Amino acid sequence: MIKNPSHPKKGHLKTKECRFTKAGFVYIDYKNVDTLERFVNDQGKILPRRVTGTSAKFQRQLNKAIRRARFLGLLPYVAENIR
Amino acid sequence: MKKYFYELTYIINPVLEEDQFKEAVDKVNKLIDDNDGEVVEIDEWGVRKLAYEMDGKRNGYFVNLYFEAPASAIEVIERNMRISDEIMRYLTLKYDSKMLKHYELKKKGELPSVIDDVEEESEESED
Repeated sequence: MIKNPSHPKKGHLKTKECRFTKAGFVYIDYKNVDTLERFVNDQGKILPRRVTGTSAKFQRQLNKAIRRARFLGLLPYVAENIR
Repeated sequence: MKKYFYELTYIINPVLEEDQFKEAVDKVNKLIDDNDGEVVEIDEWGVRKLAYEMDGKRNGYFVNLYFEAPASAIEVIERNMRISDEIMRYLTLKYDSKMLKHYELKKKGELPSVIDDVEEESEESED
């Protein structure tokens, strides 16, 4: 990830892998709520690629799947914050 | 006429009686049949809690079905569903080759799943 051998962060950062590619997904289904929930934070926001390490291809599919699930009330648009 | 493969999920108003759910489902199935369509698989999820309030309701009766139909049928089906009082929401998807592959895998029960978090953590501790 970091090419410079003397970079202070070298060794700390690990290269992330796309979990969908790894598992051999063909298509991300909006009905697969358990999986989708893991790519959303407690507020119900979609986590960015830089956090989850998902590949660009699957991030696009994931976004679509989450938005479909939200439309059907399977996932929240905004989760309630209990303080 | 060329037929395509579609997936349709809709939510029926949960305030109705048991037999009224069946009536609503039959109505949609009939609608598909009448428009040269053919229902392949139907899966009723039953009453499910919604993630947010929809038209003042916290629950919904979910029906998920797969069917084959010519493209012109979709317009008619969707129009009828929009007018219908029982149906709160619907989502129609036309299946492409990747989605069909996914559907076949699902039927065989060979769907891939995302690796567990537990495994992830153990990987982290290794380095």
